[in-house]
Amino acid sequence: MSGDFVRAVWIILKHDLRIWIQQPINMTATLVPALCFLLITAVGSSAVGHSPVALVTLDRSPMGEQMQQIFQDNGTFRITNATPEQAQALFKNLQVVAIITIPADFSQQVAAHQKTPIDVTINNLNTDFTNDIRAAVPDAITQFYGDQGSNSAMKVQIQEHDLRQRDVELFQYTLVPIVILLLTMSGVVNSGLATAREWESLTVKELLFAPIARGAIIVGKVLAGFVTTLVLGMVILVVGNLAGWIHLEGIYWLTAMLTVGLISLMGAGIGVAMGAILQRLQPVISLGLNIVLYLFFLSGGVGVLAFLADWLQAIGSFVPLSYGRHALEMAVFYNSTELLGRDVAVLGGCALVALALGFLAMRREVFA
Amino acid sequence: MMVQKYTYTLNVIWSCMIRDIRSMLTDRAFTLVGILTPLNAFILMSLFVLAGTQAPTAVVMQDSGPYAQQFYQSLSATNGFKLQIVSASQATSLIQAGRIVAVITIPADFDQSIQHNAPVKVGVEINNLNTDFTNDIRRSVPNAITKFYANAFPDVVSIVPKEQDSYPQDTDYIKYLTVSILVVGMLFGGVMHAGTSMAREWETSTIKELLFSPASRWAIVVGKMLGAFVINIISAAIVLAILVFVIGVQPVHWGEVIAFSLLIILIFIAWGTFLGTLMKQRKQVVVFALGLSIPMFFLSGPFGPITFSAPLIQVIAQIFPVYYAIVLQQHAFHGFDLNTYGINLNVLIVSGYALLLIALAAFSLRRSAIAH
Repeated sequence: MSGDFVRAVWIILKHDLRIWIQQPINMTATLVPALCFLLITAVGSSAVGHSPVALVTLDRSPMGEQMQQIFQDNGTFRITNATPEQAQALFKNLQVVAIITIPADFSQQVAAHQKTPIDVTINNLNTDFTNDIRAAVPDAITQFYGDQGSNSAMKVQIQEHDLRQRDVELFQYTLVPIVILLLTMSGVVNSGLATAREWESLTVKELLFAPIARGAIIVGKVLAGFVTTLVLGMVILVVGNLAGWIHLEGIYWLTAMLTVGLISLMGAGIGVAMGAILQRLQPVISLGLNIVLYLFFLSGGVGVLAFLADWLQAIGSFVPLSYGRHALEMAVFYNSTELLGRDVAVLGGCALVALALGFLAMRREVFA
Repeated sequence: MMVQKYTYTLNVIWSCMIRDIRSMLTDRAFTLVGILTPLNAFILMSLFVLAGTQAPTAVVMQDSGPYAQQFYQSLSATNGFKLQIVSASQATSLIQAGRIVAVITIPADFDQSIQHNAPVKVGVEINNLNTDFTNDIRRSVPNAITKFYANAFPDVVSIVPKEQDSYPQDTDYIKYLTVSILVVGMLFGGVMHAGTSMAREWETSTIKELLFSPASRWAIVVGKMLGAFVINIISAAIVLAILVFVIGVQPVHWGEVIAFSLLIILIFIAWGTFLGTLMKQRKQVVVFALGLSIPMFFLSGPFGPITFSAPLIQVIAQIFPVYYAIVLQQHAFHGFDLNTYGINLNVLIVSGYALLLIALAAFSLRRSAIAH
């Protein structure tokens, strides 16, 4: 009996995997949205916080040039050195977001402790650009005073201490949520399509009336979605680690793999349930993609859930992906197993609920 | 004879439109998802934006003197932080749990040092996990120091920024970005509705009846586009209502909002019709609509003028109509000019795209007829 069960599961698993590989639309539906996010974050990360600015230095004394150098070295701007006329033209043609002007009497005024305004003309069309400039100019001024050493009039200094040896770049950071998105999308969409296809091609009758346990059909379908998703997850973890985007070490490989496995299982379970309930490919794709994207964004998206508004955090606490993401971030960025038990319990519980839903949906069809 | 021909063409357009609307209403679940899809895109993108506004930061006040208080006020005034005052131990547990980006410690001798004009170090512990937030902190703390000196010792630190703004008031980032998000919602909804409506004809083999009928290809394309247009107007109206009544964006030019929205929907519908004719499968269209919308949004200058982006992105953006659509809607809602072409030329470009895409759709349908 158990031999028949395993054989039935194996046949369904093999059949679904073959179809997945043979139909490019399945791979496209799985990979394209997540790869788009990856591309976007790669492009977006390089552009974050680098506003184009025209710098007009009217004071050519050593102090004026020191100030100019500080602006040039400040990571916030993409500086174009310009004359006042060139700067105005760039500003008018929307080539720069701001003009910063170091006045001709800069060094004299500073030496005489007179008020020395640095003119900043800003295209304040949204607060994102505007606030970057508003924060970066005082930053440069503080640095200017800091460079004066003990003679500096500004006695308040910053003593920075970073939690980790190297900064984690925005792109590296966003890789974890994108892995989560990819896994969920793959699980839900692939299993959903594989299940709904049985109804669209009317092969479900053969399956349901075959002398095999209903459980074997469910397990086979879920396993097919689970295997493809798990393999994708593993490939990304390995490639990400080899490329230096993430740093997994020792035992944390295991916790990361466990998390990836549970998310894959949950996604596959949801997909089978959706496929059995909706029974058509079209709504499975539309609804599946929408649900997955909602879950993704409500778990913090490419931001940080803990930094969102309280009401969004409250919603996020009911989204299972939040726990998957927490577990994976702990393994990848913190080398920690903090709250791993809670995360595994939530993901495992949700996977079981999803499997039960899939089983019930298929069972309903047998009686129907 | 001429009148009869025109009447027949109008009948074809009307019949195709009504048939498509009926068909969409029959497939209620899908149509509902379709109508709500632009709204989904809008909500999701807004969540994406909300994730990156202010960095949650803990302040440990080891000194409660007047200068320390003033320094805290300066930190607060930078708008870069979401501040909370906590004890040192609470701050440590918050940063280790990943709930805050940084801990700023104002030392016990802060006031004393300031009074004696002695150097004093403000501790800044950063969870340098995400350079977006990390750099915000690294810029905002010096900003607070400058503000502190400007208020407490205006004569000591004489270098100050003197700001001059292009517009009388700032536009909130969310209000700015949601207008761009509206456009991507229209893109997704338009491509998906029109594309699936066209692809359905192939999937159900009803395309043969259409292609072998004496009706002109143009009339079929226009009729099908009008059907999708009606559904998309409903979607766009829902999103627009949320933008105005929930987000609180008050359009500067209402007339432009309506006219540009109709024009933009038309382009995306034409785009969808063309893609539906090419792909012939609804699931491919849905996947493509999603795969297209997200990168298009990010590549088309949603955050500000495209000229502030990298040169490659500027070139790519100007190839596609989404960029011009964002330019038009930002002008309609906020009165901003995001490029130097002028509004009339932007409208012309968008209209050109609409004509081109309609022609492509009709042409591809014609090719299909020949192939059949």
